[in-house]
Amino acid sequence: MFSEAAVREIQEIRAKYPTARAALLPAIYVAQREFGWLTPEAYEAVSDLLGVPRAIARGVGTFYAMYRQKPMGRHVVQLCTNVSCMILGAERLVDFLKSRFGLEPGGTTQDGRFSLVIMECIGACGTAPAMLVNDDFYENLTEKSIEEILGKYR
Amino acid sequence: MITVTINGKEIKLEKPVTVLEAARSAGIKIPTLCYHEQLEKYGGCRLCLVEVEKMPRLQTACTLMAADGMVVRTETEAIADVRRGVLEFLLINHPLDCPYCDKAGECELQDLVEKYGPTTGRFKEKKRKAPESLEDPVLVRNMERCVVCTRCVRMCEGVQGAAAIGVINRGGHSHVEPFSGGRFECEYCGNCVSACPVGAIMSRLHRHSYRPWQLVSETETICPYCGVGCTLVAQVRDDVIKRVVPRIGTPVNNGLLCSRGRFGYEFVGSKERLTTPLIKKNGVLEQSTWEEAIGFVARRLGELKTRYGGDAIAGIASPRCTNEDNYVFQKFMRVALGTNNIDSTARTGYAGAQAFIENIFGQGATANLIPGLANADAVLIAGGDPTAVNPILGLQIRSCARKGGNILTIGHVKGVRHYNPAELKPNVHTEAALLEGVVTALKEKKGLPGSIQTLESKIKEIHRPLDDAARTCGVTEKDLAAFVEALSTASTPALVIGKEVIQSAGGSYNLLLLSAVAYLVNARIHLLSERANEQGVVDMGCAPDLLPGCRPLSYVEFRRRYEAAWKSPIPEKQGMTIFDMIDAAKAGSLRALYVMGENPVFNLPNAKGVEAALRGLELLVVQDIFMTETARMADVVFPALSWAEREGTFTNMERRLQLLRKAVNREGMEDWRIVVEVAGNMGVRMHFSSAEDIFAEITRVSPLHRDLSYEELEKSGIYPYKGEPLRGVTGDIAVAKPAAGDGGGLFLGIERPLFHSGTLSRRAPGLVKIYETAVARISPATAAARSLKEGDMVRVSSVIGYLELPVAVDFAVRDALVMITNNFEGRGALSLMELVLDPVLRAPVADKTAVTIEKAGR
Repeated sequence: MFSEAAVREIQEIRAKYPTARAALLPAIYVAQREFGWLTPEAYEAVSDLLGVPRAIARGVGTFYAMYRQKPMGRHVVQLCTNVSCMILGAERLVDFLKSRFGLEPGGTTQDGRFSLVIMECIGACGTAPAMLVNDDFYENLTEKSIEEILGKYR
Repeated sequence: MITVTINGKEIKLEKPVTVLEAARSAGIKIPTLCYHEQLEKYGGCRLCLVEVEKMPRLQTACTLMAADGMVVRTETEAIADVRRGVLEFLLINHPLDCPYCDKAGECELQDLVEKYGPTTGRFKEKKRKAPESLEDPVLVRNMERCVVCTRCVRMCEGVQGAAAIGVINRGGHSHVEPFSGGRFECEYCGNCVSACPVGAIMSRLHRHSYRPWQLVSETETICPYCGVGCTLVAQVRDDVIKRVVPRIGTPVNNGLLCSRGRFGYEFVGSKERLTTPLIKKNGVLEQSTWEEAIGFVARRLGELKTRYGGDAIAGIASPRCTNEDNYVFQKFMRVALGTNNIDSTARTGYAGAQAFIENIFGQGATANLIPGLANADAVLIAGGDPTAVNPILGLQIRSCARKGGNILTIGHVKGVRHYNPAELKPNVHTEAALLEGVVTALKEKKGLPGSIQTLESKIKEIHRPLDDAARTCGVTEKDLAAFVEALSTASTPALVIGKEVIQSAGGSYNLLLLSAVAYLVNARIHLLSERANEQGVVDMGCAPDLLPGCRPLSYVEFRRRYEAAWKSPIPEKQGMTIFDMIDAAKAGSLRALYVMGENPVFNLPNAKGVEAALRGLELLVVQDIFMTETARMADVVFPALSWAEREGTFTNMERRLQLLRKAVNREGMEDWRIVVEVAGNMGVRMHFSSAEDIFAEITRVSPLHRDLSYEELEKSGIYPYKGEPLRGVTGDIAVAKPAAGDGGGLFLGIERPLFHSGTLSRRAPGLVKIYETAVARISPATAAARSLKEGDMVRVSSVIGYLELPVAVDFAVRDALVMITNNFEGRGALSLMELVLDPVLRAPVADKTAVTIEKAGR
């Protein structure tokens, strides 16, 4: 079940769109935040609130790579390994995350603190390598700066 | 006029259509996969690509509208190349398991590959694997075979309106799944199975039991379940119905079926079918011969008639039997036994309600076309969920909503909840006050049309201001006013009346109010019907006060006409209704009861009381296809042929006459033939050798059926009747107002599930697997107030008795009700119900039985 605040938030989202289905994408984001990932209950809650059939809500949710289809850590690291980032050492950073934090691409640390998602370009080619931690943006990454940044997320 | 040239052939088009439709109309085949004539255009499979002159690329024929002067080519070397390429892609992940796929032989992908190639694929990658899903009891999903044409998804959402399945994931990983990923948990219409071009979604009922080319016959007949009368095609091998499919173009269901029609056919081949006549000897039913059993029944009936008179004998006809069976049976009762004691379970609602409405508006007032509902601009639903009782009619209501029509409901109607219905949920037993408010407001808004005086005089007496109605019923005045506004501004409204309102306390008064609403807004009336031939059993004169064609027995000139036709006197005295029969049996004045295809011990309220009453009879004869609760008590049981094993006609709720055709062979006799044999042994000759003979007599005798023949029915049935409806025999409108409400407490409600129908569906394993057992369905509030949760065993008790059932918590149930089905043996809702009759409709009142619910003792 949604919190009252989440219900209000989704109702406000709904009011901005002409049809309930158009409101699905942002509403699924709210559900993901509330439930941690897109559990069957998360889809049911969105579907009941918007009046969109469940199978449709799930079809939309499973289409997009940026929704979480499985449980994730408290903080999600999204690291780009596309051309610019790769040239400037992103793959070394991937290795570093594995050796320093035990964080595998697509995996979650044992303590549930971090999950790592490998991204295809987050639009920071000029300041590569770059990553997102939750909704926060970091660029010009080095092994040292990653260690410092992740230290802020408990 | 649009002229296009396709493959050098000039085609003239009356109205704008797509290139694909234009080509098909001229007999030119263009291959397709995602196209389906009942679905929205999709343009996804790219197989229908065609060359159009002056257009740069190949175009999808299914989405391109034909324009004047267009020159199209559908089969060129370039097109064949593209099609080969598309098919090569589709086969990347296809398992090529045709040798054991049930679809092989009727698979559209197989046919296309056979025609366009490729013979080998160039992809070396491993195929995507997905285990076949057998988690669902009736549907099997094989996503390796899926070509993601989305026909099933579009069918489920756009036509059925269930939206139970969707495409999940993306690109090469896309496939079709129900929400749960396993069981479908849907309406089980199976229309996705019809839509699937490959073997991705199929029925488990006939899994691996034949190949499509091994089917030896296909018989188009009428569904045996509800009153909609869908045409279905029974496909047969070795005299067993292997599969039931719909056909596009049939008048009522046009290519669609519901769960009962599609998955409910297996009872025909059940091992539990009765095979030989049985006679009770020393308290035990023993196998006998036809000769002995028929002789015995004829002799006993003769003796009892001589000793006590014909009126000590009664007959119960069947809304599951054909018109021909029922006609012969009532003639037998009237001519051979000399009594009008003939009735059926149509008496429990349909017959009384229809008589009431026809008394106001004239015969045929409820005979409205089901597909017409889709074109209404407002549909008012009162007394049940049409999508469960008459599913295909329910689809038309959903279609109406999709086209922008208003759906108005009295009470929560689960099946239309996604269609933005205007719902009024009155407190229990306050429906009459609500309708009084609606009628009062409509009267002021619309004025009285001045055409039916008897009704107008009643309407003038009705007065309840909206605020008072809203207060009494516990709805807001705003909602009520909006409801009235939507009704009064509709130009082509329809009214759908279900059994819950007919069987409510004050049913006749509620019907008067609904009739008044229909009159004031000029709405067409549809009366939901639970049995395939409920209309027919009434029209055949299986009623104590009506002769065939619904001609009243009390009119002497009608009676004389029938007497002349039958060359036999017809008793003047009105007979007993089905409930009178039970009372008379209890009182001892009824000595014998002849039951044809009915199960009164289960299908009438107060089962124990009915059972006790029947025990006092000197002779109980039952004709059935299964050993029912009633048959077990009988002195003689005749095994009848089932619906699929004979010819005859059904009359659906539109009063459309449709022909049943024999799909499978079985030794035995039709119901009518057994009755004819018994009559013959009593010295009353009825010269019928086929159902068609009987129909010929019906069309001579009944003015309603005049001048019809099987030949005419052969095509698509007959609607409307050509005969003369009975008009001008309207009397005063009698009503019985309900007593004041009983306040709090819980009441028994009858659940009418989509997956069952009477006691027939018990013998259909497919349906039983979908809906396995009886439950006590209660609202979340009722559950919370009693600390009950899903699955808890509870005892539901009334003054009549109790049932122990698991709880199901359901948001769609009203707080004041405990809903129980009347389908499962030993656990029927009617076994708890007190028998109280509405004095006017003579139908039972079903919403006044107080019940308690408590945790069952451990």
